Amino acid sequence: MEGTSLEERAGNRLAQFPTFLHANGFVVGAGAGMEVLRVAEQVGLLDRDVLRDSLRALLCGRADEWRRYNKLFDAWFLPANQWQRPEKIDSRHGFLSGEQPQGPPGAREREDETLEEIRPRQAASRQPRTSSTDFRELMQREHLLEVETLVRRFARQLRYIRMRREARARHGRRLDLPATIRRSVASGGTPFHLQWKDRRRVRPRLVLLIDVSRSMVQYSFFYLRLARALAAEMPDVHSYIFHTHITGVSQALNDPDPARAQERLHVLAEGWAGGTRIGESLAQFNREHATRVVNSRTGIVILSDGYDTGEAAVLAGTLAQLRRRARRLVWLNPLMKQPGYEPVSQGMQAALPHLDLLAPAGDLDSLKAVLPRLIEALG
Amino acid sequence: MSSRAQELAALQRDLARLGYIAEPGLAAALLLMQDLQRPLLLEGDAGVGKTEIAKVLAALRDTRLIRLQCYEGLDAHAAMYEWNYQRQLLAIKLLEHDDRGIAQKEQDIFSERYLLKRPLLEAITSEQPPVLLIDEVDRADEAFEAYLLELLSDFQMSIPELGTVQAVSRPLVVITSNGTRELSDALRRRCLYQYVDYPDYDKELAIVRARAPEVPALLAQQIVAFVQGVRRMELQKKPGIAETLDWTAALLRLDFTVIEKDGAERILQTLGALIKTREDHVSMNREVVARLAAAC
Repeated sequence: MEGTSLEERAGNRLAQFPTFLHANGFVVGAGAGMEVLRVAEQVGLLDRDVLRDSLRALLCGRADEWRRYNKLFDAWFLPANQWQRPEKIDSRHGFLSGEQPQGPPGAREREDETLEEIRPRQAASRQPRTSSTDFRELMQREHLLEVETLVRRFARQLRYIRMRREARARHGRRLDLPATIRRSVASGGTPFHLQWKDRRRVRPRLVLLIDVSRSMVQYSFFYLRLARALAAEMPDVHSYIFHTHITGVSQALNDPDPARAQERLHVLAEGWAGGTRIGESLAQFNREHATRVVNSRTGIVILSDGYDTGEAAVLAGTLAQLRRRARRLVWLNPLMKQPGYEPVSQGMQAALPHLDLLAPAGDLDSLKAVLPRLIEALG
Repeated sequence: MSSRAQELAALQRDLARLGYIAEPGLAAALLLMQDLQRPLLLEGDAGVGKTEIAKVLAALRDTRLIRLQCYEGLDAHAAMYEWNYQRQLLAIKLLEHDDRGIAQKEQDIFSERYLLKRPLLEAITSEQPPVLLIDEVDRADEAFEAYLLELLSDFQMSIPELGTVQAVSRPLVVITSNGTRELSDALRRRCLYQYVDYPDYDKELAIVRARAPEVPALLAQQIVAFVQGVRRMELQKKPGIAETLDWTAALLRLDFTVIEKDGAERILQTLGALIKTREDHVSMNREVVARLAAAC
């Protein structure tokens, strides 16, 4: 083989590396190929580690990409016998196979199950109609629009909650001094026209913790949809799903490519519709995510029926901690709508003392009814 | 060894001389940052030494460090420039009996004399390129992030009363984030990225040796082993590198020369330097400390 063609091939391989990363779920811009070549020119191709580190800084954008990068680099650049297929595709880290993304084998096998629960339209029509008010029926195609509208309205109303403390501290309008002076020049320095500052809203951050265990199966999809709509309307929404452990789904939910959003949710939703350990899941949240995500202006909304197979004491302790960290702690329970429901399950009993609001949210009406209270509680 | 690798090794040595231990990956990113003229985005838990990178970079280049600490509600103006309006008011009063026209008076009042430079303007108008540290950018809101993007791509700033200010020099920009808020993809794409993790045993030992050379070798090893053990526990707030160094100083001050297996009581008295929440203090009881001490 001639030297030039070898060089060309190396160049091609390099330039296509970003595409490969993109297929593996990296967020890579269109011009990345050129940049890779530029960096390669700068650092040379001889030293693999230097090239790898340099491209890593260039092409990674977030922590999970950072962790997966090295294996992908090896997979792309090293001959097949020099790397042992390292990323045996575990459920947290998307897919590995080149240009055509495929679901991980684990998810594939269970595809039929998971598919139905994640994809609304397919799952919906097969759901039996039982009660007239539960969301089951609302998953029907003709009702989808209504749900969608409500969710969006709900999200928009939430957008206007302002933190009360902020509101109280501000007595009326505030003067914009620089602008006032600028205008006063025309009148010889006497500020006839006052310029006012706009009121700034400080919105609470919302953290949604969505129970996707078996007992919640008919509601969890609706809640996910709510989470997606909320995230589209508000800038600062963080969503997590939990059953026996907790997983962040914000990124997957907000993926602009719906097919890929679905794919990513698949991968994340392993254990969907399984058992529940609310206490342990929330404790895990507290340990791994709360320090970053929860601050003094965070409203935490737990969406769960409170049927817990774990220990109630764990749940109580965790909620107490969360309550101290966050601004508000709200629990929406889909079962509360049912006549004669009392929060007697162990989990609910343990949770009650720590909640700012416990409200039903089993169907559209109850969600509408609870909205003012929710806004008040979060505000 | 390629020439780039030699460059890297030299940079690592220089950084080590200044007391900063950098992995090859970080050194590669720092070099690339200068080659490509791109900002460097550092993510990682609090206390892993992100801010320190900017400081040591400034020391290495022998240049000024301009720091912009982000906070909730930071608006672009507070970060760019402000008019010194008290002085302007005064000037307007003084100019009242001046005969010049309004336009001229205005020009006088909005001249650079009355301009207060805030970090961003300061950074692009310095003669010698400074290091601009934008600390904890995730605390500021999206609007500020968008503004920052504009600045970082054009390196110019428009001040309505003065016109556009072009960058005199291009600062080296280091941005840090604790990941409390998801940053926009646009910002991420524009930056080089580095995830900074807690140091492993060898690296942390090197840091302790570099920063506290007076510590006996055995004690340094024990301190690092102990801290690494603490980090493996499930704590609310894991100790960062600063805490390790604080604790080292505390132990030295109390004349520790070695961590003894049965010295849990004495160690407990110093743990305030390492453990920073009440719950973590409760979980670090005597048995736990004794176990950790025995292991190191």
